[in-house]
Amino acid sequence: MNRKYMQLILMATVLVAAGLSCPIARADAVPQRIEITAKRFAFEPGQITLKKGQPVVLVLKSMDVAHGIRFRDLNVEVKVGAHGTSEVRFTPEKTGDFVGHCSVFCGSGHGQMVLTLHVVD
Amino acid sequence: MKRLITVVAAIALTGIVGCKANSPGQLETRTITFAEHHVFIGNKKQKNPLPNTLQTLADGKEAFSHYCVACHGMDGQNTGVPFVEHISPPIPSLASPDVQSYTDGQLKWILDYGISPSGMPGSKGTLSDDELWSIVVFLRHLPPAGSQGIPDMYTH
Repeated sequence: MNRKYMQLILMATVLVAAGLSCPIARADAVPQRIEITAKRFAFEPGQITLKKGQPVVLVLKSMDVAHGIRFRDLNVEVKVGAHGTSEVRFTPEKTGDFVGHCSVFCGSGHGQMVLTLHVVD
Repeated sequence: MKRLITVVAAIALTGIVGCKANSPGQLETRTITFAEHHVFIGNKKQKNPLPNTLQTLADGKEAFSHYCVACHGMDGQNTGVPFVEHISPPIPSLASPDVQSYTDGQLKWILDYGISPSGMPGSKGTLSDDELWSIVVFLRHLPPAGSQGIPDMYTH
């Protein structure tokens, strides 16, 4: 009797844990993939709209030299070698406009390479 | 006629002597320094929007290494810069009171627009605002002179 009682508690615990983990599983499900090309001295596209709480993978492709992109306010950065591809996965947790800059010095127009993320509800 | 030739020759000579790139005298240096601090260099009141953290300092050091080091050395104090003795006006040590007495906003202005007609170029557009402000943080925490070695470009 005592053993059955323990089994019931264990099953209940497992079910509750599974229930709690569901939102995380959904969040991990299928992140949106967005391709960005980097070429001296611009990102294409230059603006992207994302949904708050929805995971996303930014795929950064370099068409020439090494580049990077960093969103300081979101603590997100990805770097890519010359003619390479890299990606970074994150979930935007706050709404607003966030400006990312090229994070690998790439020449005279390096400071003009910006990409704006619009994170909406 | 003779007087006219003498006057023209005197003007020409003055021009030639004036063009010679001598090191500026003490009075010239003081006058220019005063004018830079109080007249020419704007943006006196703007505050640095970046947090004064180790991460910002590291960002500033990296951004500084992109090309500031060619003239200012890795330490901002001209260490290892081969032409530092042969340029006029001289390249100041960025740790000097003259430089450190600029406000953060003025340092950012200098980084943005340079100082003409000295050799200091503006970097607006070449470096991002974030990078330029992080350089300002680095300038406020320069490493000891000589502690960072010689810029790579001068070691080959």
